[in-house]
Amino acid sequence: MSMRRDFIVGLVLIALCATLPLFIGMRYFVTQATLFFIWGIVVLQWNLVLGVGGIFSLAQMALFAVGAYATAMFGYYFQMPMVLAMPLAALLTVVVSTLVGLACLRLKGPYVALLTLAVAQVLYLLIVNDTECFTNPPSGCMPLFGGVRGFTRFGDLGFRDLFGSKWYIADYYVGLGLLALAAAFSIAIIRGPMGLAFQALRDNPGCAMARGVSRFKYQLWVFALSAFFTGLAGSFYAVHFAAVGPTAFSFSTLLFLLSMIVVGGMGTLWGPLLGALLLMGADEAMREFGDWRDIGLGLLLAGFVILLPKGVLGSLQALVQKLRAKA
Amino acid sequence: MGTAATEPLLVCREVTKQFGALTAVNKMSFTLMPGEVLGIGGPNGAGKTTLFEAISGLNPATSGEIIFQGRNITSLPPEALCHAGIARTFQLNAGFDSLTVRGNVEIAAYFGRQNRLIPGLRIGRDVARHVDEALAAVGLTGKDDEIVGRLPVLDRKLLMLAGALASNPTLLLMDEPVGGLNPKEIDHVMAVVRNIAARGITIILIEHVMRFLVQLSSRVLIMHHGEKIYEGRPQGLIEDRNVVDVYLGEGASQRLGNLLKEQASA
Repeated sequence: MSMRRDFIVGLVLIALCATLPLFIGMRYFVTQATLFFIWGIVVLQWNLVLGVGGIFSLAQMALFAVGAYATAMFGYYFQMPMVLAMPLAALLTVVVSTLVGLACLRLKGPYVALLTLAVAQVLYLLIVNDTECFTNPPSGCMPLFGGVRGFTRFGDLGFRDLFGSKWYIADYYVGLGLLALAAAFSIAIIRGPMGLAFQALRDNPGCAMARGVSRFKYQLWVFALSAFFTGLAGSFYAVHFAAVGPTAFSFSTLLFLLSMIVVGGMGTLWGPLLGALLLMGADEAMREFGDWRDIGLGLLLAGFVILLPKGVLGSLQALVQKLRAKA
Repeated sequence: MGTAATEPLLVCREVTKQFGALTAVNKMSFTLMPGEVLGIGGPNGAGKTTLFEAISGLNPATSGEIIFQGRNITSLPPEALCHAGIARTFQLNAGFDSLTVRGNVEIAAYFGRQNRLIPGLRIGRDVARHVDEALAAVGLTGKDDEIVGRLPVLDRKLLMLAGALASNPTLLLMDEPVGGLNPKEIDHVMAVVRNIAARGITIILIEHVMRFLVQLSSRVLIMHHGEKIYEGRPQGLIEDRNVVDVYLGEGASQRLGNLLKEQASA
């Protein structure tokens, strides 16, 4: 019943978004909205691990980067068409994420955060510090993983040839389509047996195991499942900006996305998306203030952690439940 | 059927659990026949819950053997034991606090009956039926959508029982099912447990409320310092000097004696 309601909410939102470029065709708005779709996908999937599974993994941005890098490298080294490179990169991200999940199996709470952050930092340092030339194109020495420069000119989805200067509108719809798929995936997991298992292990691991839920198995599942669309989002990010570099691992982006989940409501289905909308809006509103922008975001996050720890949607849900209990 | 009745359901052979230098359970041996209700009592820290942890796999035994239906289960993980047919409830009100009553029981009904290789997308109709049955068996029908974190103590105890039942157990381990309840609530749980036993589910229960223990158990086992100090009929408890000294005390054993007499005359 509630799964059907969620799908209806999703469909309405998608229909609204699909008509939006007809009214606001401004390029800046459309590309920012595309970026919102990309971050939306990442926070929806991250929420599966963090909110639904209760596992404090910070590996999501590294997985995003794995998807982006894999796409760029498939295109750059093998001239693979992007339509093929993107799903392949997403599958590779699933493999990497499962390995990270395996490494975290015996860890709890903050130790998971430390290990996953370390994995991300190690990947970043390995890429940046690699100065040995793998190939020597006319543009200069190219390390295997692109080094500090990263990759450009690895291919695109062909929209520039098809639509000319309006290619970004096609990207908007690809982003929206991916977000729709990611949201449907999220709904199916959270409202299905898999979500029950993740929440049971989060709430009470001992009791969950005694009821037949294997911690080993379902922790690997949550890492694997949350990785596919994260990798695909990274992949699309690389294709959309036609570039990928070590900034994909940046800590400030990681905090920005983590804040979206916290502000929107960790563990709720739509909370992370709402948080993404709110924080991107706030970020936009503060863009005139230069350095104050980061401070403003920090204050906003601190305010939420203290005043509304369940986030906007989580607090609303709690309020509705309380009112219902009284009635 | 004829042979099954003579074969023990559970055999514990010299089960020992050590935490460093401390021996919490020391060479416990007992046999449980199908259909029995075995009550375990004893002072706090006697090792009763630790014994349960060992049988249910959450904290495996250091040495010794546990045989369930002829199969050695000593080192199986908890989820495998659940699939094999051993369900347990917890001393503390363990549940999945953020989920609904129905969600809690669904987990047991969906994951507890068999190993799911790849979980499906939906809770099927058969699982929904198992959930309904389990909720009805403990009297929680109609409370499906309540959030477990906000349930009163009695409902949480009943919910744990419903979860255990939904996994379709052959053997049910109950850890203090009526601890912290008032006499009326105890009577309610007692009726529920009688029904469970009447279905042919074998039960081991740990309880400090002696009225509950002696009225339900067909056999009683008293533990002290990780060892068995008494095993036999509930009626024999008050005649055992050792049990009266270390556990019951004079006052309680007198009240228990009166209760047993009433029960015998009734």
